[in-house]
Amino acid sequence: MKKLSFKKFDLFYDQYLFIAITLLSILGLIFLFSASQGNTSMVFKQGLFVLFGILLMLLISQPDPDFFNNISVAFLLLSIILIIATFFIGIEANGAKRWLNMGFFTLQPSELLKIALPIYLSSYLYHRRLPISMKHTFITLGLILALFYLVASQPDLGTGLVVIMSGLYILFLAGLSWRFIGISFLLMILSLPFLWNNFLEPFQQQRIKTFFNPESDPFGSSWNITQSKIAIGSGGVSGKGYQEGSQSHLDFLPETETDFIFAVIAEEFGFIGVCTLMAIYIFILMRCFYLALNARDRFCRLAIGGLSLIFASTLFINLGMVTGLLPVVGMPLPFVSKGGSSLLSFYIAFGIIISMASHKKLMQK
Amino acid sequence: MIDLEQRGPEKKNFENRLALIYIFFVFLFSAIIFQTYSLQVSSFIDYEEASNQNKTREVLVQPLRGIIYDRNGKIIANNIPSYDLVILPGKISDLNGLLDKLKEFLVLTESELLYINENFKKKAAYNRELTIKKNLTNNEIAAFEVRSFDLDNISIEKRYSRQSNYPEIFSHALGYVGGVNDIELANILSSQNLQPIETEFTYSNGFIKGMTGIENIYDKDLRGLFGKRIYEVDAKGKFLKELGFEKPKNGKNLYSNLDIEAQQVAFKEMKKRRGAVVAVEIESGSIVTYLSSPSFSINELSNNISSKEFNELLKDSNKPFFDRASQGRYSPASTIKPAIGLYGIEKNLISWNTTIEDPGYFILPEDQRVYRGWKEGGHGRINLADAIIQSSNTFFFLLAYQSDIYDLKNHLNNFGFGKKVCNDCFNQDIALLPDPEWKMNNLNFGWFKGDTVNMGVGQGYLSATPIQLAYYANIVAQKGLIKNLSFIKDNNEPHADILLQNISDADWKRMHESMIGVIENPKGTAKRLKNLKTYSIGAKSGTVELVSLDSKEEYKIVRQEEGKRDHAIIIAFGPMPNPKYAVSVVIENGESGGSVAGPVAVNVLNELINNEKT
Repeated sequence: MKKLSFKKFDLFYDQYLFIAITLLSILGLIFLFSASQGNTSMVFKQGLFVLFGILLMLLISQPDPDFFNNISVAFLLLSIILIIATFFIGIEANGAKRWLNMGFFTLQPSELLKIALPIYLSSYLYHRRLPISMKHTFITLGLILALFYLVASQPDLGTGLVVIMSGLYILFLAGLSWRFIGISFLLMILSLPFLWNNFLEPFQQQRIKTFFNPESDPFGSSWNITQSKIAIGSGGVSGKGYQEGSQSHLDFLPETETDFIFAVIAEEFGFIGVCTLMAIYIFILMRCFYLALNARDRFCRLAIGGLSLIFASTLFINLGMVTGLLPVVGMPLPFVSKGGSSLLSFYIAFGIIISMASHKKLMQK
Repeated sequence: MIDLEQRGPEKKNFENRLALIYIFFVFLFSAIIFQTYSLQVSSFIDYEEASNQNKTREVLVQPLRGIIYDRNGKIIANNIPSYDLVILPGKISDLNGLLDKLKEFLVLTESELLYINENFKKKAAYNRELTIKKNLTNNEIAAFEVRSFDLDNISIEKRYSRQSNYPEIFSHALGYVGGVNDIELANILSSQNLQPIETEFTYSNGFIKGMTGIENIYDKDLRGLFGKRIYEVDAKGKFLKELGFEKPKNGKNLYSNLDIEAQQVAFKEMKKRRGAVVAVEIESGSIVTYLSSPSFSINELSNNISSKEFNELLKDSNKPFFDRASQGRYSPASTIKPAIGLYGIEKNLISWNTTIEDPGYFILPEDQRVYRGWKEGGHGRINLADAIIQSSNTFFFLLAYQSDIYDLKNHLNNFGFGKKVCNDCFNQDIALLPDPEWKMNNLNFGWFKGDTVNMGVGQGYLSATPIQLAYYANIVAQKGLIKNLSFIKDNNEPHADILLQNISDADWKRMHESMIGVIENPKGTAKRLKNLKTYSIGAKSGTVELVSLDSKEEYKIVRQEEGKRDHAIIIAFGPMPNPKYAVSVVIENGESGGSVAGPVAVNVLNELINNEKT
């Protein structure tokens, strides 16, 4: 929550978040160098992303939060338009059209939506009476489900679920009634068989089956998770040493640069390395918690709360998957995994959080 | 729109709910830390092991089979190296360029080129060797050596094949080697606490084991212990570097007591006729000659025999695969007579002075059936010695007639009939020593006195294998000392006594003299052998009648069909009076034991006795 004053220019930033995120990003590059087996051009490209992302984060944190309140509709619409565009001009890979070719890199617009939606909902509820009424509950829920459907039909179930989550966090923080939560939860459970049969692709069903019964398929779907556990476990307390991880360097571990980079870190730096990394993440989350409690108004409160929870969820899903606690779903390790869109969206999210943290208002709402 | 009253409780509510979710996440992240802790700290050893197993790959290294020697230290079965041209595809980028260079001095056939092209990529991906050409000639090797400076990642590798220097003469004694099926392989490896995995073969034919003969019986000793090469591999199984090498333990060499020269003589004398020759070194009970004829090339059978050649061998009416020495059942015929004579003395039925009048036949009192001898008119008044020398049937018909079949059976059993006599003969047959129970169970007929009478001259149901006959000859030569036969000289197992209570050393001497008389006496049935040697031999010849006839005239008609001619058979030992070797010879449809089988036996003994190395 600082304001560096230059002669004619004030720079708004939060030293804690800024240092922690920059540190994570640099560590991420170091890990990536090993995970990619010394692929310098990959690391260089990712380095440019990181540099650009940090500058973007700084830039985004300059305007007053009211700016984001005002443009939230436009931001949401832009995201939706980009997602719709993927259906027409998207890049197809593995049977899915999720990406847009932006020249320099490929953008996954659904990643933007998980930021744009909570900002929009925070703004929407900013103007309403809280706790949230039934009417607005249904309106917002309708929007959330519509957007989920849009993303899920790319198809991208994983990001779709994150989009739902990002919306629901805001509704919950806005005082969604416990009775409504209870009834919805019951309905959810009852409709699970229907969802299983109609919304999950066979390969997704297989992943979940494998998760509950890993022995059933040691060299198929559960190969990844078995190898990931071996990588983590064999790291021991102090790790095998930087670039010494045999699981990653001899190609036993899949997706080392992206989803499974945590396993590489755990193998090479051991439990000590894991704890250090976790400490940085927990520090960022605690700082966000503090900022949310001390936010200047309802919009900022909801937005910081929602965005930080998305960050925490992404982190948990990635770690849970890599350590074998959750089924395999594609989810990156924030600020560390290779990949532009996810990284970009988190820089934007933290840019907004920092803006909210560093701009004060005289009158609180 | 902005309700100041609402602000306090709303903020409180927000704080509670945010705190609630954060506490929830504290639990979730604790679970992650706990899971990581249990993987990295609690189960570290298991996962470290799993990680090491992942990245290392053990490859078995095949040991060489032990060499088999004869009793003079000459090699009978050996491992002969051949030279293969081998490349490392993983390090070769331009295959065609390399092949062009090779073609300058090497002829590659269509099928070889096809094999190279089909396997190059796969071998490159896994960094394994690829054999370009097998069995290089000396010229090809020389041509390669000259150009090797220009050829990288290509080398000449030694691969062995199991070969005998005497492939035709030791066919049944040594046996051949062959591939194993998956179950046998698993058994062989599990006996060495190994599992079937990728293997670096020392033999061009891969996994081999002894299929028959000594190669089979002593397979476990000859086989040796597999070694291991340990490589670091990546997830695809590509070899990255060698981490360790545990040398294979080659099989134990086997020092047999076979005698190459005697075996060669036997082979030459048999002239590919159907039959068998077994010779035994009396003192040790070890087999020095073991021939079943006709034979086949074990080298061809062990190394890539074509299926056409193999089928021809199988279909051959002379049955070359059949091991007549251990499995051929022949009536011992007159060769049984010394044992029957000893039985008479043992049971006090006769003495050396007992004489009978031999009219040339014997009439069974029970049914008046006539049992004929080989000589019309008979041999006149004869005693036991005469009966052996002239091979009187009447004498032994009479003797057998007075015998109890069970006593006689036990007596013959002591001499090796109807039992296993060799410790290490492959698929040994015990042939048939009949008794009334056997006849009732198998032929559904009661035992007639005539059956016992027939046994007295070694005809009827009684049968024996050549190895049993050699064992029997050995006992007679040793005056009743017995010892199981073996290809290996094993002096640890002592001779035992046959336990004949009433047979004295003098009786044995009389028996030996009688058997010497078979050759030396002018009336002896094998007198034609007299001039073939310079020392004396104890022998008993026999002629196995395949068709039961009443007169010689009938036989003349029968013998026009070769398969119905009599078998020729002889047992012999010498030099007398202190015999060193005993031999048995059977020649199917050879007709005369004395004049056909006899020379084979004498020439084998000549080789063994005259060329004995001490």
